[in-house]
Amino acid sequence: MARIELKDVRKSWIGATAVERIDLTIEDGAFVAVLGPSGCGKTTTLLMLAGIYSPTAGEIAFDGARVNDVEARDRNVGIVFQSYALYPNMSVLDNIMFPLRFKKVERAQAEARAREIAALVRIDALLDRRPAQLSGGQQQRVALARALVKRPHLLLLDEPLSNLDAALRLSMRTEIRRIQRELGVTTILVTHDQIEATTMADRIVVMNGGRIEQEGTAKDLYERPATLFVAGFVGSPPINLFEGDVQAGTLTVRDAQLRLAGTAQGSVVLGIRPESLKVDPAGTPARLIAAEPMGREVLYTAEGPMGLVRFLEPGAEARHREGESVTLTFPPQEALIFDKASGQRLEARIAA
Amino acid sequence: MSAAGTSDALPAAASLRPDWRSLARQALLKRGAGQSVLLAFLLLVSLPIILPYFWMLVISFTARSGGVSTDVLWTACAIVVPAVLIYSVVHLVAPSPRLRLVGGLFLFVIAGALLAALIGGQLHVANYRFLWRTNIIEEIRSKATAGGQFPSVWIAFRNSLALAVSQTVIILTVASLAGYYISRFAFRGREAFLQGMLVLHAFPAMTLIIPIFLILHWVGLLDTILGVMLVLATIELPFYVFVMKGFFDAVPWDIEMSAMTDGASRRQAFRLVVLPQVRVGLIAVGVFAFIRAWEEYIFVRTMLIENTNWVMSLYLFWVSDDIMGVDYGIVAAVSVFYVLPSLLLYLFCQKYLTQMTIGGIRG
Repeated sequence: MARIELKDVRKSWIGATAVERIDLTIEDGAFVAVLGPSGCGKTTTLLMLAGIYSPTAGEIAFDGARVNDVEARDRNVGIVFQSYALYPNMSVLDNIMFPLRFKKVERAQAEARAREIAALVRIDALLDRRPAQLSGGQQQRVALARALVKRPHLLLLDEPLSNLDAALRLSMRTEIRRIQRELGVTTILVTHDQIEATTMADRIVVMNGGRIEQEGTAKDLYERPATLFVAGFVGSPPINLFEGDVQAGTLTVRDAQLRLAGTAQGSVVLGIRPESLKVDPAGTPARLIAAEPMGREVLYTAEGPMGLVRFLEPGAEARHREGESVTLTFPPQEALIFDKASGQRLEARIAA
Repeated sequence: MSAAGTSDALPAAASLRPDWRSLARQALLKRGAGQSVLLAFLLLVSLPIILPYFWMLVISFTARSGGVSTDVLWTACAIVVPAVLIYSVVHLVAPSPRLRLVGGLFLFVIAGALLAALIGGQLHVANYRFLWRTNIIEEIRSKATAGGQFPSVWIAFRNSLALAVSQTVIILTVASLAGYYISRFAFRGREAFLQGMLVLHAFPAMTLIIPIFLILHWVGLLDTILGVMLVLATIELPFYVFVMKGFFDAVPWDIEMSAMTDGASRRQAFRLVVLPQVRVGLIAVGVFAFIRAWEEYIFVRTMLIENTNWVMSLYLFWVSDDIMGVDYGIVAAVSVFYVLPSLLLYLFCQKYLTQMTIGGIRG
């Protein structure tokens, strides 16, 4: 168990930069998710923590001690890869015991520990099998057991659920969370799936283009996204974004005009979440283009004065038909305004 | 779907329902016909390969000094070929593996009995007497050639074995280490190195035979097994390095990274995790290297002179050179003895050898 710090960490190869700059502190025992699209540098960051890559610049510290030059095998980090990376030539038990081979643990004791951890991840009935004889979910558990058996300072999970089917993903999410709580091991989860990040982690770090966009709880990211990227990346279905122009306290988006409170000037982007929009007789008229029932709610697409807009309405069945006209409103405090050039959120609000 | 719409009238609903039974019968018939055609084709194309070997075997056990008769060969063929054909039919028609086995055994016993009855009396092992007697060649050629020219066949066998085993060891060691390095590490000139290896492989090594002869002469390795060993390994290695690189490319990086975070050093990760993944490649490369050295002729013919340095291919060459036309039986018997190790290796490692092309393509 350790407190992890990354100070101004960069990683670049000849002709390519994977990580521009990372400054991050992870408290002992915390569960942190690193969320971002493919190629944002999240896996590179993970491999730097594991010691597979060494950073081009900056410092990585475990419990305050610099570990940049410590070899991967000496860092005592457990890692679960997306492909599970089990050793196909060994039985499940040998796979789990593999890390203990290098720790001068006696065989009998190592086996006892491996069996204990296998029971924790519930694969104790499969110990004699080969990885090829296991299902995806079972392989996942073996990989987790192998990462945990050496009692790591830090557990790294690289997209651990993306190769599982939907039902299994749901149960493994709960499982991993349970095991992490039970052992209290500092854990970093790398994922591109916001549901995984928000359901499993205490804190979420959103990365884009090799930088950290925002760090915070799921609520922070959803309600007060720091940048346009975070607003667009977090939330499903995605937020409605409209480009507009502010002149003398008035925001113009195509044919619509809105009064602003607070300072803003020039090109901005207005963001309204689909779940903020409501059908209300007092609202702005819009023509429905599509209605897509999603089970618990219906997702509508409509053409309004600001352009195409998506909104949600609870209920299993569509109450409005395509081609019909509806009137929409939204609570002004829920609308977000971003500076178009920098992507930063502005404190300006829509006036009630 | 029902039959093609040749009739203009719309078919009644009942006739739209396909006749499953006849469709199944047609499919089975088609599959059976396809299999028979394939089987017949394979039998036909393997005939020119199998027949000479079969002939060699027959001659080695039946020929007597002076001339060769084809009677035994044709008699044997007249029994074996129908037996194989009948078994193919049994294989196609018999529904259960058990029935096939019983049929096969039955045919085997009949063919064996027929062979024993018709040609059993002509079989003998006298042609194999070179295995335990050294001077048979001189005996046959009488005193016309100088005595003591031929070493015991076991000396040639030992030399061949030494050459082939050392080839296998050298090539396995170097090709696996070099293949791993090229597969995993980026270094300046990697692409050029790879292309260079391919070019080297495409370049006919035979053209170098005179320079190599001279170099071996100058360094004092001419007429030694060690010299041939080094030359062969050098010429063969580029190809095998390339093949091994292909096998290593197919091993995911994740496994290695995982081993290293699990506490293994790079060397331990290579030995404990990566090497077992390329086991098939190692076996294939090892077998090919062994057989390649076992069957080598041109280089050993050029560089080995003294008769105590002969390898099996040279022994066979000198035997046939001296007594061809006099005693075919012994030539055939030496050939059988020479081909046996390769045959056994192929037989046992067949399933690994077919993997090599796959690994090779990945390179």
